[in-house]
Parts: sequence; structure tokens; C-alpha cells
Amino acid sequence: MMRLDHLPNQRTDEHVVLFLRRHWFAILAIVSAFTLLTTLPISIAWYFWDTVQVWLNHAVIGPLIVLLGSIYFLSIWLFAFLEFTDYYLDTWIITNERIINIEQEGLFVRTASELDLAAVQDTTAEIRGILQTLFTYGQVFVQTAGEKGRFHFKNIDNPEHVKEIVTELVEEDKRRLSALGAGGRGKIKSVIK
Amino acid sequence: MFDLPNIDIPIIVFLIIYGAYMLFYVLYSLFNVYHLLKYGMYGFGLYLLVTVFTGGTIILLAGSTYLLMDYDWSHPISLDDTVKFYNEDLFPAL
Repeated sequence: MMRLDHLPNQRTDEHVVLFLRRHWFAILAIVSAFTLLTTLPISIAWYFWDTVQVWLNHAVIGPLIVLLGSIYFLSIWLFAFLEFTDYYLDTWIITNERIINIEQEGLFVRTASELDLAAVQDTTAEIRGILQTLFTYGQVFVQTAGEKGRFHFKNIDNPEHVKEIVTELVEEDKRRLSALGAGGRGKIKSVIK
Repeated sequence: MFDLPNIDIPIIVFLIIYGAYMLFYVLYSLFNVYHLLKYGMYGFGLYLLVTVFTGGTIILLAGSTYLLMDYDWSHPISLDDTVKFYNEDLFPAL
């Protein structure tokens, strides 16, 4: 179990500034799909109740329908839970020294990577489309100096605010490093600690 | 005249298929819960999530068991019976 006060490889004086998950709109999509898939067969059964009742009273068809119904609803429940787990385990942690990116893809793929703030070159916030504009969520891309590529905070709440915080933290970290006389990027941090 | 032999299979075979599905369900759920407890963020939300999922599963299984209790599981699925159904039997509105 992960704790925000005990991060993996936590450094002295390191503290969490932001803990991010995808915007609640992701949950809304899961809940909507779950509600639709649940209420649709129930509504159909309710509308054709006379016929369904005959089927349920049948000695062979009755148990078959109940078992199939049970499998159907259990599958939807499990699917919703898996989707929610995927949402729940996708996290981005921004501390005063680094960015930790944890991504869950399905049940069997998990990627955890981290990046020193001093290695950040550029931060971009992006809000695209009507929904993202209305609910103020979008993407933040954190570009690094090296060949590592970039970190992508997917569908997070208020990306512009997050971008500002990251930029401030990067500046602060760089100032701190130059005050300590290191003046370099990323790797030099391990010398300081 | 060629005669097909009548085969009677008890409807309990449905429960075997259901059992196989339940095995898959339990294994997948346990793996997911293990994942959550191992990598999830420590806090009340994590326990609430696992409790809600387990509770939902129990409710669904209890409901299914309640509905399945009244059926006679020794009732055979007879090949002869399958040809005796009429549309009016299964679709009373017709």
C-alpha cells in the first residue's frame, strides 16, 4: 500500500505538493455505462413482464434465464470495478523535488516512473473540446531535457493551475540547486543528498 | 423408420457452467483486490472501495440464490420436450 507520507525512495525534506488523479468526469463515464447496462434489461423485463413471468415459471427456461441474468449483472459489476480500479491507480504525485507518474493499464500492466524537477524543460497545459472547456479539465505535458520523452498527466482537473505549480516548483528547485552550488540538472541531486 | 433416442440431461448442468464462471469471477476479483491493496493509496477510500465491491457481489449472489432456490434441479432437459413448445406457450401475447 502506498502512503503519501512515505513515498518510494523519499528524500530528506521532500514533501508532496500535488496528488493528481483523472478528473471526476472519468468516474461519470463509468457510472453512466454501468447505469445504462443495468437499467436497460431491467426496463425491458418490466415492460414485457407477462412474457418474462411465463419464462421464469418454466422448469428449464426459468433457471437458465436466472443464471444468465446473474452472470450478466455480475459481469457488469466486475467490469465497473475493474474500470474504477484503473482510474483509482492512475496517479501523478508532484513533490518539491520530483514528479512520480504511476499508470495502470488494465490489470496486468503497471508503469511507475519518476523525474527530477531540475530535468524539466517545458510544461504545457492543454484543454481541448467543449466538455474539457466546460468542466475545466485536460492534459499537462511535462517535457524533459533528456531523451526520456515527456510525462503526460491525462484528463486532470484544472491543468493550467497544475502547469503553473509545476513551473514554479521547477524554478524553485533550480534556484535551490544553484544556491547549493550544484547548478546542474537531475542527476546532480543525488550528490546533494 | 429412424428413431432418435431420447436423452435426458438434468438442468443441474447449468449450475456447473455457472460454477465455472464463478471461479473466473472470484479469481479475477481477488486479483483486482490484491492489486488495489498493494498499489492503492492508503486511506479510508481504499477500504470503502473493497467493501462496496464485496457487498455488491454478495447482494447479487444472494439475489441469484434466492431466485434459483425454487427450481427443481433434477428436472430433465428432454429432447422430446423441445419440439413440443408452441409459440403461445412462450409468448402469451401471440
